[in-house]
Amino acid sequence: MPSEISPRQGDDASDEEIVRRTLLDKEAFGLIIERYEAKLLRYLERLGVGISEDREDILQNAFIKAYKNLNSFDPTLAFSSWMYRIAHNETMSFFRAKHARPQVILSEESEALITELKDDTADASLAAEFRLSRGELAKAFEKLPHDYQDVLTLRFFEDRSYAEMSDILEMPVGTISTLLYRAKRALRNAMPDVFLP
Amino acid sequence: MTTPTTSKEQHDHIAERVLERIKDERLSPRPRWEFIFKNYFFWTFGALAVAFGSLAFSATLFEITNVDWRLSVATHSNFFSFFLAAAPFLWVFMLALFILIGYVTVRRTNHGYRYPLVLIALGAVMTSITVGSGLYTIGLGRATDEMIGDHPPFYRPILFAERSWWLAPEKGLLGGQIVDVSPDISSFTLRDFSGQVWHIDSSDLRNQDLATVARAGTVRVVGLPSKTATTSFDFHACFVFPWETRGDFRNESLPPPLAVFSTTSERGEKNSTTTQGEACEGIRPYRQLRTIDDANP
Repeated sequence: MPSEISPRQGDDASDEEIVRRTLLDKEAFGLIIERYEAKLLRYLERLGVGISEDREDILQNAFIKAYKNLNSFDPTLAFSSWMYRIAHNETMSFFRAKHARPQVILSEESEALITELKDDTADASLAAEFRLSRGELAKAFEKLPHDYQDVLTLRFFEDRSYAEMSDILEMPVGTISTLLYRAKRALRNAMPDVFLP
Repeated sequence: MTTPTTSKEQHDHIAERVLERIKDERLSPRPRWEFIFKNYFFWTFGALAVAFGSLAFSATLFEITNVDWRLSVATHSNFFSFFLAAAPFLWVFMLALFILIGYVTVRRTNHGYRYPLVLIALGAVMTSITVGSGLYTIGLGRATDEMIGDHPPFYRPILFAERSWWLAPEKGLLGGQIVDVSPDISSFTLRDFSGQVWHIDSSDLRNQDLATVARAGTVRVVGLPSKTATTSFDFHACFVFPWETRGDFRNESLPPPLAVFSTTSERGEKNSTTTQGEACEGIRPYRQLRTIDDANP
């Protein structure tokens, strides 16, 4: 059965509306894929899935899982948080199954994190002389525990609010806040030449 | 050589593959009721866990309130061995277990992850304490301890354990129901927990103990078995402590007193002195028991 939503209609419809229509017409699910594919591929890359084929496989599985569980989507949450949660969980399962370590590749958007780390630095002179290459940051980032990497990625590269992070990582907001604080501190400690211990 | 894929091609590729897989494998969204059922199941399971936790707390409370910790000096060689025998380990363990189960199941509900561990754990603990206290007052603490606690082979309900400690006449410990008291309260008859009847000499008792004997009911008696006593009685009483079972809805109202005790009576005046016979003063630990006895109303 052809989709009842044209791409133009799909552009205007909310995620929740498309979900509702997908339950009647599976073709409408293509609009969800269209909306989230690029964002999620980027997210998977930031989570450390280094190989493009792996990212595609994970994403396909995530979309299939989302489709099968569409009825469990709770409209009180943002659909994007729900979709990110599925992608995140699928990625963690991938790492576990492959016994693989995330390969951290930080893009130019790492500026947000660098700025945050600078702002929190007590030593102003050091902050003024702050010179930190993306490579150095990536190296330090790679040393962090997985849960620290997760919160930093969501906060500074995906620009997610605490509430959204709570829904994606399935943790209380207070825990997210604590993790974020510890993650920033750990990241600074991993770069003793740049930040005062 | 492969040509690098553009973003648009990659999208079409993934979207096509996903939609094809949905068609080929005839996938369809799982019905909504499954998720609703799962959510209710976890909430119900969590609530049941807290309900069992409440029962465990009521049993804990029943044990704590019904063990006479003061008399451990008479029943056990040291406090540690008494603590091992009397502390409600099973119920505290069950309480902790059910709170843990409650936490895990609530976490698995739709928004369960939003609640911090401390909040869920405290909520479960407070609910168990509040509901458990209510259950204790209506007697479910005893019922839990005896009906459920009687089944594990490694556990003995507290009242059963305590009765066994007070069925040791050779050690000078007797517990049971007073069934008869002589008019001058110089002796009384006690049926112990095994059904055996004891004729007990109470001539060496002090006023507060005589009052306890006159009130009758269930008592604990510390004294001397007949072989060391100088009288023809089965047992020579030195101290008598009332034995009330708290938190028991099956507790029948106390029977009427079997005798009237008054400190102004001839019998009372005889016993108003603070000294007791040599035999009683020789029991261990006489001083501590006497202090406890003095504190009795």
